[in-house]
Amino acid sequence: MWCGKFSDLFSPRRDGEVVASRLTVQGMHHMLDAKTAWAAYQPSAAHPWDRRKVAHLYRRAAFGATAAELDAGVKDGHEKTITRVLEGGPESDDFTRTTEFMASERSMPPGAPQSRLSAWWLDRMLKTAHPLREKLTLFWHNHFATSNAKVQNARYMLGQYHLLQKYALGSFRELVIQMGTDPAMMVWLDTLGSTKGNPNENYARELMELFSLGIGNYTEKDIREAARAFTGYEIKNGSGVLNPSQHDATPKTVFGRTGRFKGEDIAKLCLEKEACPRFIVRKLYRFLISEADNPPAELIDPLAEQYRAWDFDTGKLVATMLRSNQFFAPQTYRAKIKSPVEFVTGIVRGLEGTAGALPLAEALEGLGQVLFAPPSVKGWDGGPAWLNAQTLLARNNLALALTSGEDARFGTRCDPARVLARHGIASDAEALHWLLDVFVQGDVPAATRDRLLGYLETAKGIKYPVYWTPDDVTHHRVRAVAHLVLTLPEFQLN
Amino acid sequence: MTTRRAFLQTSTLLGFGATVPTFLGRAALAARLAHEPGAKDTILVVVQLTGGNDGLNTVIPFTNEQYYKLRPTIAIPKNQVKKLTDELGLHPAMSEFAKLYTDDAALCVVQGVGYPNPSQSHFRSMDIWHAASTAENLTDGWLGRAIKAKPVPAFHIAGNNEVSPLALAGAPVRVPSVASLDDFKLKTAAASGADGTAQKSVITNLASGGRQPPEAPRSPASLLDFVSRTQLNTYASSEKLAALGKNYTPKVPYPNTPLATKLKLAAQLIDGGTGARIFYVSIDGFDTHAGQGGAIGGHANLLQEVSDGIAAFYRDLAGHGHHKRVCVMTFSEFGRRAHENGSKGTDHGSGAPMFLVGGQVRGGLVGEHPSLTKLEDGNLAHRTDFRQVYAAVLEQWLGIEAKTVLGTAYQPVEVFAKTS
Repeated sequence: MWCGKFSDLFSPRRDGEVVASRLTVQGMHHMLDAKTAWAAYQPSAAHPWDRRKVAHLYRRAAFGATAAELDAGVKDGHEKTITRVLEGGPESDDFTRTTEFMASERSMPPGAPQSRLSAWWLDRMLKTAHPLREKLTLFWHNHFATSNAKVQNARYMLGQYHLLQKYALGSFRELVIQMGTDPAMMVWLDTLGSTKGNPNENYARELMELFSLGIGNYTEKDIREAARAFTGYEIKNGSGVLNPSQHDATPKTVFGRTGRFKGEDIAKLCLEKEACPRFIVRKLYRFLISEADNPPAELIDPLAEQYRAWDFDTGKLVATMLRSNQFFAPQTYRAKIKSPVEFVTGIVRGLEGTAGALPLAEALEGLGQVLFAPPSVKGWDGGPAWLNAQTLLARNNLALALTSGEDARFGTRCDPARVLARHGIASDAEALHWLLDVFVQGDVPAATRDRLLGYLETAKGIKYPVYWTPDDVTHHRVRAVAHLVLTLPEFQLN
Repeated sequence: MTTRRAFLQTSTLLGFGATVPTFLGRAALAARLAHEPGAKDTILVVVQLTGGNDGLNTVIPFTNEQYYKLRPTIAIPKNQVKKLTDELGLHPAMSEFAKLYTDDAALCVVQGVGYPNPSQSHFRSMDIWHAASTAENLTDGWLGRAIKAKPVPAFHIAGNNEVSPLALAGAPVRVPSVASLDDFKLKTAAASGADGTAQKSVITNLASGGRQPPEAPRSPASLLDFVSRTQLNTYASSEKLAALGKNYTPKVPYPNTPLATKLKLAAQLIDGGTGARIFYVSIDGFDTHAGQGGAIGGHANLLQEVSDGIAAFYRDLAGHGHHKRVCVMTFSEFGRRAHENGSKGTDHGSGAPMFLVGGQVRGGLVGEHPSLTKLEDGNLAHRTDFRQVYAAVLEQWLGIEAKTVLGTAYQPVEVFAKTS
């Protein structure tokens, strides 16, 4: 019963329904019992700690690995590597100064264009020393999905970002309570202007349906009553505050409990419901572990109980998931479709490049993910819904723009020829090996490798313009093969 | 130069029998052009109004005192309503729809459409409309099942940030999403024509992986298959559409709005002879909880975008001689609360009107306007089940047995003109 209701939100059903149902059946064979599933992974002969697992960790918990990070991860072993990802590093002074300057009111006034906002965050994702925290901030952005398309205020959007980031690996309790008076959210879901006698239901509904409980765990009456608790909130000096004269202070009955509830009381009532930790754990499972199965209650519920026992400490929940057998299980490997953000950051980091965040953020729109502008309060559907004919072509063509060296937006800042030279790679076979290692850890069929080598060979015999030097030809061939690698279906999976 | 034949040979399409988009493989079903004798291949264009359109400020009972009581700040003044009958009229921003109604008899208004025990969640209710079902788990769509019953070519004309709709899920081959023909191409940085051909050939080949049989399936094979299929389907579609004339000349100007731009692309795909029979487009923004405006304002702008865009589409198709083949159908996941709220907007409701536009729809009003006094939890009760409209569209327009698609026999509403 309960699972069915959640599947409405979580199964990657749009265009992926066949995928999902088939995987669930297949997955049964590998299903671990909850205790084993959430116990810490230990390498074994059957499941060794290797480059694939390092890359898997960096894809899910960060924004992709560089060759150096793969090397270090294998060398340092699983304990140290996982801990490094979980704890992150201190940000450099240079990073902090730049990112804070770019977020200052002078650089980012309320009316700053959308692309500047999204570029700012994308730049952080590419350069941060604590990628897990940025990744979880992105998770919460998708959870409390708020769009600047309506808010129309970059200051408010940045304010919400800071709230999400502060609690990204912290207390969900604090996050959901404080979200009720977050100015961007107040504009987005119309808490602003909802007054005594004339409540607006928008926030109360989505708080229950999308932010804490899921459909089926509340009634329409709960929503109408709760809406009265959210009346009278205003934005003063950039903060959400209660104006008692506009607030409905009469008693309300929500989930069978009666009181003179204010907004934060409703959030607390939601937190008390059994459905709440399950809802969050299930959603985080889909984000960090797999969108290819619909995990059974036996797997989710014990972790949900633990999450409540930790008083909704998301950091502990994330650490448990990322250290777990379930996370490193074979059926979890590549069990997600890369989001557009993951797709582009994986390329730029893999090529050790420095692509300008602004054109990159603008290109993300064609791939279907504009940061700070999710399509609706439900966020991005994710999973197989990321890929359709148009977005797939946009991915292929963006990979080309980044690698070709000929695109005016990106130039040669991610040049595969340069990164290969830096690594002292000269032969075709070595070049291909390096690219396949960084992007798919060599995990492709032999036929794929042969076909790519075949292209490198064929491309030697092409009639090039007479003015091209031998170096020009070599660079062209490796740039082209880098693009081909980035079109592999394996590279679309996370 | 690669020919399409060569392209198809180099790709391993045969290994993915059900991957090729329908419009490539089924020349026999391709639509005859309307100027050809015997043309009767009909086309359905679904326009989704995302967010819950305020039906009560769309089709307005302007003589009803209760309407003005329910809507103290956002009601449309009587003298501004575009009158359809002595009691009902359209929002003033919908003057083009009013012209289609009065001048062309090409607009059918189905009043008070909904379903029993309506959900007031955007997402649940939208899924119900897409799946044409209120079952707990909804995994495929009414149009996807229609395409399964009768494999006709279809397109989702997409905007950015917009995923393929559930309504189209369940089709034997995934319906392609297209946002713009300019971007609907696989590009390469080639040193020569031969180089470009070689690269495209490799990309297509790698998409299917040379992967049979898989060596050691470390990843869930079916997710990888899903990507492969999407790639092969996409590359084949883009080759086909590249052959379409780039320069489409509409017979009337389209407004410069996102919806009109999508409809113009649909018109181009219709006129270009892709044989597509189903199109799906969306316009978002109808979730007017606050400051929705009355005769002018945010809601008015949305209604104008719908009305002007669809009217231009209809007149363009008429200019090309296709209007009798096309039926446009609008819907939204729900209407809105009868009472306006304190933010000069409206909260989620239920029953609301649908519009059908085309050369063969039955011009006029169908069904009854919902009662403004017998509200259900403050909402307008529906009088017509939306599946009755779907049934009419499926059976009387697309020629697909409705019961196969909807599971239950619904009495079709009379939205099409009687053909002699």
